[in-house]
Amino acid sequence: MKSPDSVRLGRRTVLGAAGAAAAGLSLAACGGSKGPGQAGAAATGKGGADGYDGPDVQLTYWNGLTGGDGPVMKKLVQKFMDANPKVKVTTTSIAWADLFQKLPAAVQSGKAPDICLMHTADIATNAARRVIQPIDDVVKGLNLTAADYADAVWKSAHYQDKQYAIPLDIHPAGLYYNKKVLTQVGADPTKPPTTKDEFMAVLDKCKSKGVKGYWVSALSVGGLIAQSMIFQNGGYMISDDGAKTGFGDQQAIDSISFFKSLIDGGYSPANAAGDGDWVSFSNNKSAFMIVGPWMVTPCKQAKGLEWGCAPIPVLGSDQQTWAGSHCFTLPRQVSQDKNKADAARFFVNWMSQHSVGWAEAGMVPARKSVRESAEFAQYTEVKQFEKMIDWAHFPPNVPGMSDTDPEWNKAVSLAMTGKQPVAEALQAAAEKGNKILEANKKKYG
Amino acid sequence: MTTTTTPIYVDEESAPRQNGGAPHRRRAYSRTRVGPLTYVAMTLISLIFVLPLVWMLLTTFKTESDARSIPIRIMPSEWTLRAYKLIFADAANPVYLWLVNSFAVSVLHMLLVLVVASTAAYALSRMRFVGRNVLFGVLIATLFVPGFIFFMPNYLTMSTLGWLDSYWALVVPGAANAFGVFFLRQFFLAIPRELEESALIDGANSWTIFTRIVLPLSKPALVTLAVLSFLGAWNDFVWPVFVLFSPDKMTLAPGLATLQGAYTTDYPVVMAGAAMAAIPVLILYVVVQRYVIEGVANSGLKG
Amino acid sequence: MAGTMGRPTLRHYRPITPYLFVAPFVVLLLTFLVFPAIFGVWISLHNWDFMLPGKPWVGLQNYIDLFDSASVIFHPFWNGMKNTFLFVLISVPFLVSIPLLLSLLLNKKFPGRTFFRAIIFTPFVLGVAVVGVLFGYLFDPEVGLVNGLLSGLGIGKIAWLTSQPQAWITILITTIWWTIGFNAVIFLAGLQSLPEQLYEAAELDGAGRWGKFRHITIPGLRNVFIFVLTTTILASANLFGQPYLLTHGGPGDSTTTAIMAMTNEGLRGFRMGTAAAMSYLLALVLALVSIANFLLMRERK
Repeated sequence: MKSPDSVRLGRRTVLGAAGAAAAGLSLAACGGSKGPGQAGAAATGKGGADGYDGPDVQLTYWNGLTGGDGPVMKKLVQKFMDANPKVKVTTTSIAWADLFQKLPAAVQSGKAPDICLMHTADIATNAARRVIQPIDDVVKGLNLTAADYADAVWKSAHYQDKQYAIPLDIHPAGLYYNKKVLTQVGADPTKPPTTKDEFMAVLDKCKSKGVKGYWVSALSVGGLIAQSMIFQNGGYMISDDGAKTGFGDQQAIDSISFFKSLIDGGYSPANAAGDGDWVSFSNNKSAFMIVGPWMVTPCKQAKGLEWGCAPIPVLGSDQQTWAGSHCFTLPRQVSQDKNKADAARFFVNWMSQHSVGWAEAGMVPARKSVRESAEFAQYTEVKQFEKMIDWAHFPPNVPGMSDTDPEWNKAVSLAMTGKQPVAEALQAAAEKGNKILEANKKKYG
Repeated sequence: MTTTTTPIYVDEESAPRQNGGAPHRRRAYSRTRVGPLTYVAMTLISLIFVLPLVWMLLTTFKTESDARSIPIRIMPSEWTLRAYKLIFADAANPVYLWLVNSFAVSVLHMLLVLVVASTAAYALSRMRFVGRNVLFGVLIATLFVPGFIFFMPNYLTMSTLGWLDSYWALVVPGAANAFGVFFLRQFFLAIPRELEESALIDGANSWTIFTRIVLPLSKPALVTLAVLSFLGAWNDFVWPVFVLFSPDKMTLAPGLATLQGAYTTDYPVVMAGAAMAAIPVLILYVVVQRYVIEGVANSGLKG
Repeated sequence: MAGTMGRPTLRHYRPITPYLFVAPFVVLLLTFLVFPAIFGVWISLHNWDFMLPGKPWVGLQNYIDLFDSASVIFHPFWNGMKNTFLFVLISVPFLVSIPLLLSLLLNKKFPGRTFFRAIIFTPFVLGVAVVGVLFGYLFDPEVGLVNGLLSGLGIGKIAWLTSQPQAWITILITTIWWTIGFNAVIFLAGLQSLPEQLYEAAELDGAGRWGKFRHITIPGLRNVFIFVLTTTILASANLFGQPYLLTHGGPGDSTTTAIMAMTNEGLRGFRMGTAAAMSYLLALVLALVSIANFLLMRERK
């Protein structure tokens, strides 16, 4: 019964050693676990390129898709199983926050799932904590190269020069526009705005007709909306070396000030709810919504909504937008069953090649060959988001990055509600954020 | 107010006869006559407690749109077993497995508590040994320490022992509970010694006395502790939420949180899961409610 | 604890027997109560992430951080403490007074009394998960029964779970429904243990109902009252399940309690050292509250 950290044994108190050792020794037979060990289970085999021809095998697959995209993923997995009857995959969807709490515990107990879906933004933290394993061999075995994917998303799957994930999709932030409302205020419903001036021009038209053209909420603007504008102005949220935050930089101040001005200028109501932009958009009360492609399906299903989508308007100076990406990772296993390992790699490869079905959930497939296929062309709305493939700005892979989110969100909320001047609030957040990054650097090395 | 060492019964009917004489009422009931107002009040209050449960049950037979209709539909427009079928067929949320796990964990925990608490309580009530007072002191101390300070270290212990995501984590740690020991000890102390002494003269040893005399006489207390432990394990929520992660290892309580997350607004399904968690304990409660209530009442008086 | 041995008994057991009897329990006690209590302090003196090999010593830094307004943990911790104590303040009066009244009602002898007592205790056997999801549905602002009944009375929809103070009110109502039976039963037992003789004597002295209540019932219930008050305060301070299931800690973090903050920090933020420090501070505060409570209520002889 070896604990993952042998140093701990020497530090235990006598009482502790007696109690725990007694309990451990007498009960070690019942489910004792050695933890993932130092070497980890290095991925072996051909990486699953040639298909799976071993014995029947069962795989466990975790994802956090508890929303509308869950059923779409389930359909894809079912297609895989129909095409490959030897491999049975059990999908478990756990809400993301819970998933990231349970995954390390599962790895530690030797009960990790065979495949885990996550966002590229989660890779650094999980790689640094040895929850997931490097998959360079898988990539080689599948003959995948950077050329098969857009640069930015390929890079985002790496941590410390090792690759940890295979991207499944890209979901950048784009513009949704309400054709009915645009017509109503005298704007052209076929020409969505592409620059800040055009965007403000439409909002002015809305204002003159008494319509709040774009709802901004203190609770949600700090996400992909404000961040897109920050990136467009050459700013950043976390520096590439993970040493400091850009929360208090001029680009951030400008971005938040801009969105606050929309409230002050009467283009948006004050105190909008976090999903106020969706509720107003789908009820034909506002003209625009800036969000990722996952709202395509809900828009299609909303009754009485005439809408379109387009690349995000360039509110800053460069063509950039916030983007995220779902990717497949392989959690660390205690003992690597060769058949399971092969089957898992084959599964990841197959899903990647057939990811056109994932566009049903509104996601842009990450693999170039899929994007260029005729099948994908039918998803005309999602294709609008594909136009922004080269605009996609991913955060650098810094472990523990998301620890800075609460500071940013708090500052944005204070600034947007006027409780604190924008620059002051954001710079306070920057200081706190920098401290967090410093502590994390020490912790993760 | 003196604390007696005899168990206090809440019902006059179950009060033991004192010294073999005629039972005389020693309980302080209010003498005033109960008017209809009391009944009205009690009925209203009872309704407040019963109606939500009825609503829960009724919802399980509704279609999703019935359960979400505006304005509210009280009765289902069509009775359906859809919700139950779903929770028995959903492999990602296997409620039927959760039911089995809850039963297994609760029974195992109950047995463990009975064994461990009764043996310790017997020693503490009848025997002298070095360290007895220390043990007593530690037990009393644990009653004052809130449970959450054990959370993180025990989580790590579970991880080290490989008990995360297993029955062990739910059955074993909770059995280290002073309440059971005190509860049974109090009961054992009230058992007259003459019975044991006569057995001693016949040559019995401690274990025989314990199992053949003391335990059989303690059935009410044992049943009470058994029921309370069973309920404690069945309803345990915070600890299992963090310690369990696989869908097929879940018990009903944390499982309900997962079900709620998976089915959000499909309320008949969520209510069906809740019904699965509620009905077994309600049945148990109907059968043994006296023991449960008296056990709880006892703990209050001892304090 | 007095008088357990009474007159000297024949020692009928070998010296080792008592140890054999207590051994199973003691093993559990040591492993899951004594060891963790000490180990927890040890953890709190380190930066502890169970997935990383190194767990660096930080001394009292975790505790200092809890009081350092510039530290990251300051806001989550004190927000959790604030919310917890807010809930204690708003809930304890209801959770003690309503059961007391109920027990007075139930203390009369009338047919069906036992039945009513069983009914009010029922919610407590259901556990927080059932109660939580059930009340989540009842208080759903769109389709819940509560808003449905209110709209039938002409009152508008109330955002029970997504705004304050409605969120706290919802949690409060849920907790009251769930737990008053428990305290009522304890009060009832206390009432019924008061000797009849005292009441009879008072009546002979000409005391009326109120007089009897004031001079016999209230003093007689003193110890039970202290017990109920203390356990209720502790139970409210441990609030977790209701906000977890009803409001998920929201809106914002306004219903995130101290325990939720602790588990978030330790098991989602993977900073167990800080979480352990938080738990000890909270325990210390609760201990002080219990002691203060006890001293304030003690009978002056």
